[in-house]
Amino acid sequence: MVEAFAVASGKGGTGKTTSTLALGMALAADHDVTVVDADTGMANLLFHAGLDDVEVTLHDLLVEETGTHVSEATYDRFGMSVVPCGTSLAAFEAADPARLRDVVADLAGDTDVLLLDSPAALGSKSAVLPVVLADRVVVVLQPTVPALSDGLKVQEYARSYGTETAGVLFNRVHDDAGIDRIVDRASEYFGGETLATVPDSDVVRAARRAGEPLLAHAPESVPAAAYREAAARIDVRAGDEGDVADRFRSAVVPDTP
Amino acid sequence: MNTPEDYSDDRFSIPRGDLVRSRVVTDVGEALAAALARELTGYLVLEPQDALLLGGETRGVLTFEAGVPVVAYSVETDSGGTDALADLAVPGPFRVDVFESPSTALSEAHDTDELWVPPGSPAETLADAPDLAARTRDAAPDEWLQRGDDDTDAVAAFLEDDAKLDAIRQQARAEAEARAEQWGLTGQLADDT
Repeated sequence: MVEAFAVASGKGGTGKTTSTLALGMALAADHDVTVVDADTGMANLLFHAGLDDVEVTLHDLLVEETGTHVSEATYDRFGMSVVPCGTSLAAFEAADPARLRDVVADLAGDTDVLLLDSPAALGSKSAVLPVVLADRVVVVLQPTVPALSDGLKVQEYARSYGTETAGVLFNRVHDDAGIDRIVDRASEYFGGETLATVPDSDVVRAARRAGEPLLAHAPESVPAAAYREAAARIDVRAGDEGDVADRFRSAVVPDTP
Repeated sequence: MNTPEDYSDDRFSIPRGDLVRSRVVTDVGEALAAALARELTGYLVLEPQDALLLGGETRGVLTFEAGVPVVAYSVETDSGGTDALADLAVPGPFRVDVFESPSTALSEAHDTDELWVPPGSPAETLADAPDLAARTRDAAPDEWLQRGDDDTDAVAAFLEDDAKLDAIRQQARAEAEARAEQWGLTGQLADDT
């Protein structure tokens, strides 16, 4: 079985990468989880997962004829398989986004849950691909007007491609006053469940500085508990890995980023 | 000073100031930061440029005293304070006209407490710029920090505006479909679109 989720937000700074790894670790308690940094232009997952010194990344898989096998860019960390992406601009420019499709198709054959940390902006062909290809999208929101507006936008893009919303996650929430009203109201506009409300916390920043996912760095913290609650609310569907792999492989994919 | 029940069509009126700058920005934060830096006393007229979201016309006025926002007013909906900010919180770009006024010309508007906004609220609501909001609060007199509603109310007001939320979704849908064509992804679009 496999289900592919794009973790998306429509804008930067919402804590999308923190959320991807936290949901991944929480889901890994019951599932075989693979996390991919599909934000190839602004990769940062490697810093969150202590992988900033690795030699081989997704970029090597996206460049033609390097002969790199997917397994060489896949790292077992924190109970998950993690495919980080490098940060070199030259590598980004040399990368062929069409190959992301094949990489993800390969990974789909060997996991239960695929989490694609997706680009914040939807301004390019390669940036929209994770949302196009995923089964469902998890929308990470902050309770601010611009973040909600951009979140609605990314959800609508996803729906245009038949990708429904698995749920929304309110992240970096500053105070509880009025948040319930906002969450209730927002749920009318966003599909799926409200997965959790994650408080803004220094512990999240400390985890990032330590190069560890939040659930490894501070598993007993309030935000970590909220992410576990969120993961428990995602009902992972048992897709056929062959179908998912075929869907990724057959996607009409642009020639250039 | 207007009382809360004094809701006339012209509850917001200020004498015309001197136009000192007019430009189109994608990020309203730039205009707010510039107003803070030059310690603007006067007002900004903000006009979202997006035709689909206009539904006619949307125009907002945000006044400043020494660089710090004081009152907000949305001309089309006749709403004030954080409700007006929620009206204006649409994806850019915006035409921004900057007017300078003598403080005395603004005093009547600035006494209208139902139009007050918390000093950091425009930066947070219109630009999602917490650092700018913090700098603005630092520049504000202490007693202003209690003004208006908190930012949660601006978000709640935004979420009550069905027409605008629908417009954002329709615009995103149209944009997604147009870009799918441009990117050769139309084959991936869902059948019901």
